[in-house]
Amino acid sequence: MNATYLGIDLRRQLRDVMNIAFVIGLPVVMYIVFGSTFGSGNQMAGHANVKFYVMTSMSVYAASVATTSSAGQAAIELLQGWGRQLGLTPMRPSGYVGTKVLVALVVAAGGVAAVFLAGVLTGARAERWWIWLVTGVIAWLLSGIFALYGLAIAQTFRSESSVGVASAGLVLLAFFGNLFVPLGGTILKVARFTPLYGYAALARWPSTRGEVVDTSGNSTQDPMWWLIVSWVAWAVIFALISVWAVRRGRRRQ
Amino acid sequence: MPTAALRVAGLRKEYPGHDGRGTVVAVDGIDVEIAPGEIVAFLGPNGAGKTTTLDIVLGLVPATAGTVEVLGTSPRQAVTSGKVSAVLQTGGLLRDLRVEETVRAIAALHGAKSRVDDVMHRAGVTALAGRKVGQCSGGEQQRLRFALALLPNPQILVLDEPTAGMDAAARRDFWETMRAETHEGRTVVFATHYLEEAQAFAPRTVLIDHGKIRADRPTDELRNLVGDRVAAATVPPGTGEAAASALRAVQGVREVRVEGDRVIATGTGSDAAALELLTTLGGRDLEVSAPSLESAFFALTQNDQEGDR
Repeated sequence: MNATYLGIDLRRQLRDVMNIAFVIGLPVVMYIVFGSTFGSGNQMAGHANVKFYVMTSMSVYAASVATTSSAGQAAIELLQGWGRQLGLTPMRPSGYVGTKVLVALVVAAGGVAAVFLAGVLTGARAERWWIWLVTGVIAWLLSGIFALYGLAIAQTFRSESSVGVASAGLVLLAFFGNLFVPLGGTILKVARFTPLYGYAALARWPSTRGEVVDTSGNSTQDPMWWLIVSWVAWAVIFALISVWAVRRGRRRQ
Repeated sequence: MPTAALRVAGLRKEYPGHDGRGTVVAVDGIDVEIAPGEIVAFLGPNGAGKTTTLDIVLGLVPATAGTVEVLGTSPRQAVTSGKVSAVLQTGGLLRDLRVEETVRAIAALHGAKSRVDDVMHRAGVTALAGRKVGQCSGGEQQRLRFALALLPNPQILVLDEPTAGMDAAARRDFWETMRAETHEGRTVVFATHYLEEAQAFAPRTVLIDHGKIRADRPTDELRNLVGDRVAAATVPPGTGEAAASALRAVQGVREVRVEGDRVIATGTGSDAAALELLTTLGGRDLEVSAPSLESAFFALTQNDQEGDR
C-alpha cells in the first residue's frame, strides 16, 4: 500500500461535499432532532439514556453511509477505467482494495466521531465509560458489511447514479433497522430480518443488552446469537450478489 | 541477437459470446516483432483487435494462446519495472481529482515522485495543475494521460488511439509533443485508425483487421500503394459530363464521377486535376482530400493477395 496514494484518495473523498454532508452532517442533524423528540432524552434506556440510544443509532447510520459510498465509488472508479490506469503501475489489486478499505474506515470513523461528539456536547450519558468505547468501535467496524452492499449495488447497476441508489436504499434499510423511529407490531417482526437490524442491535448491546422497546412501550428481547447470525448472513448475501454482478459484467465485455 | 522490444507470437484472444454461448475471437493469430527504437503504427478500423492486442502487451488482459515478450520479460514484469508504459483510450482518469494530484498519485505508485514536475512540463499540463480532471477538454485529458505514461521513463511507449476525440489542432499539438519524446530513442507502438497519423509518424505500419495482420510493411510503401487523392469541384450547371471527359484525359486520373454539378476525380494526379478544374473548367469550391483508410485497406489487401498467389 502506498501512503501518498492513500493520502490523495482520502483528500479527494473529503472534498466531496455532498458525500460528507450525508456521512457527517445528516446523521448529526438527525441525532439532534430525534434525540430531543423522545421524552426529555435524559430518561434511561438500559445502561444509558435515550440520547445515547439515538446517538448510537445515528452513528450506525453514519458509518453505513460512509462505507456504502466509499465501496460504491471504488466500484464506479474501476468501471470507468481507473483500474486500467492502475494496471499500468506496480500497484496490485490487493493494494487497491486495501487502500479503499482504509479510506472507507477513516470516513466511517469520521461519521461516528462526529455523532459521538454531538452526543457528548448535548447530554448523552452512559453508566460506564467503556459503554461509549465498545459502542463506538462496534458501530464503526461492523459497518464493513455495507461496503459489500455498496459494491453489490454499484456492480449491479454499473453507473455513477448507483451510489445515489445505494444511499437512498440505505435510508429505507435504516428505517427497518429501527434507527429512526421505534418500530412495533408486524413491522418490527419483519424488520428483524433486514440488513441493518442485526448490526444496529449489536451496536446497542453494550447499553441495552438486546432489549427492544416498541412503539407501545412493550419490551422484547433479541438474543445475541440472532443478531450475529443476521449480520453474518447479510454479509454473505451481499458478497454473493457482488460476485454474481462482477461475473455478469465480465461476460458482457 | 539483441533483445526485441516486443515479440508477439501466435497471439490469440477469445471472449465468451454475448449470450453466454459461443466465443468471439478478438485476436486471431498475430505475430509481430518490434526492434528497440522503432516507431510502429497499428492501423485498423474499430473492432479490428488493436486495443485487445495492446491490452495483452501491457498485461491488462490475459491471452487465450500465444506468447508475448516485452524486452525479454513478461508484460506484467515490464510494467512493474517501468520499462513499458501506455496512453490508454478514453476513460482511466478520476474526474474529481486535480491534474497535479493525478500525476502525483500515479508517480507515488511508480516511485517516481522526483519526475512529477518534469513530465508535467513535457506533456504541457503544468498550466492545468490545479484544475479538476473533469473540467479538462478531451485533448487536455489526453495530455495528462501522456504525462502519466512518461512517469516511469519507459523504454517502450504504447499509445492506444491517442488522438481519438481530439480536434485537428489538438491532434497536431499532441503529435508535436510525441515527436520530441521519440528523439530519446524510445520504442513507440501506437494504434490508430487515421491513415495520416501512421504516415506522418511511423516508418512502419502494421495493418490489422478482424484480429489478423493484413500487411506489415514500411509506411512509404503503403503511401505509394494508396497515393490516390480525391479532387472535387462544382462546375457551371450543365457542364458536368463535359468536365468529366476533360478530366479523364488528365494524366494520373484513374476515375471520375459526376454528382449533379459536382465533379470528383480520383488518382495520383490530383494536382493536375485540380488545376484543370479551377482554370479551364470554371470550377469552384475545390476540395482535395487524402486517401481514406478504406482505400488503404483496399490497396493493401489487394496487393497482398496478389503477392500470396
